[in-house]
Amino acid sequence: MKAARLLRWYPRAWRERYGEELLALIQDTLDEGRPTWRLRLGVVRGGLRERAHQARQAVGAAIKRPSGLDLWAKMLAAGTIVAILPQNLSESPPPARGWQAVAAFDALLAAVALTGAVVVASGLAALPALVRFLQAGGWPKIRRRVVWAAGATVVAGGALAGLVLAAGSRSPAQVNASYAYLAGFLATGLAITAAIGLWAIAAAAMARHLTLDPRLRAVQLVLVAVTPAAVTVVLATLNLWWSATQSPVWLVAVLVFLGSASVDAWRRIPRAVRRGRRLRAAAGGATIVNPSAQRTHGRHRA
Amino acid sequence: MASSGLRRANDPPLLILVSLADGPKHGHALAKDIEDFAGVKLGPGALYGAITRLVERGLIEPLGGDDRRRPYQITPPGSVALAGALAEMRRITRAGVSRLGLDPA
Repeated sequence: MKAARLLRWYPRAWRERYGEELLALIQDTLDEGRPTWRLRLGVVRGGLRERAHQARQAVGAAIKRPSGLDLWAKMLAAGTIVAILPQNLSESPPPARGWQAVAAFDALLAAVALTGAVVVASGLAALPALVRFLQAGGWPKIRRRVVWAAGATVVAGGALAGLVLAAGSRSPAQVNASYAYLAGFLATGLAITAAIGLWAIAAAAMARHLTLDPRLRAVQLVLVAVTPAAVTVVLATLNLWWSATQSPVWLVAVLVFLGSASVDAWRRIPRAVRRGRRLRAAAGGATIVNPSAQRTHGRHRA
Repeated sequence: MASSGLRRANDPPLLILVSLADGPKHGHALAKDIEDFAGVKLGPGALYGAITRLVERGLIEPLGGDDRRRPYQITPPGSVALAGALAEMRRITRAGVSRLGLDPA
């Protein structure tokens, strides 16, 4: 095994910074000889230790950003809800709670439409900058993340289609008693959540490369801040609907989501507005490259 | 000592700081020097792991020059951390020597 291959045990960023120096040290140590097993094991152990160190740092950074974890938890909940929505749509509400169910479902549709509009507006606003970035040869910089997200979407779509087909060919009693269906259901939920997460990562990677007008950037900041709040409203209205159609227990979940929104999601919006104002004032009309991503060293908030 | 991350006398970070205390050195020179004064043979993986942590904590810094054999030097915070670690070791050494009755004083 060549000494250079040993560097693969280290994270890429570490290799770019220290790789050549480590190789030079190995060559000096060996003095033209072949790497011994002891040396190889030492380098491998160093590489694994470095990867573990970086993973610990990443986890530590995530814990220091509770709002990021909170958003991720909401995405997880949203993915699970999307996975079980077809099953719930087929259930009729009890007659006594009919009007509550209709009202809750209308509110859910409104919340979904609002969230969708916010996400679409955010994407459309950035579209010209994205086109410019791609025309300037930026595709290789985002290709890997986009391909992963697209692959995860295909897997999630296939899993969801399989789940729907499996449920369609069985009675509700058979579905409820089937462990295979339960496993498929959980796997589909995870696949959908992973796809959503990977698209969020890909979008963040794209956003880091876009050159935006300060005014547009200020609008984007507000839209990005509004999205988690809108997702919270979707989850709350969905739980209201479930409480009307299935069990009042879901009202507890409404309170949890609303509580979460009051301490986190809504607080972001005025902060984003203030940051947008500062950004426009500081830029003085000049075009800038995504300052939020630079400030947070790539920890883009979706 | 704990705040500087220097724990034991044979800790690679501590040995590197001691080695750099008399001037900048690159990786191979560091390894040779440490083997000479401490009798500890640091492999490339262990040495660069310790260098990485020390650079992250601002206790040493790279100098310009050959990218493949880049020398490192101790920083002022590194000197302070090393002095603190050595002072604590000296206190422990004095206590141990005294309790064993080896102290001539």
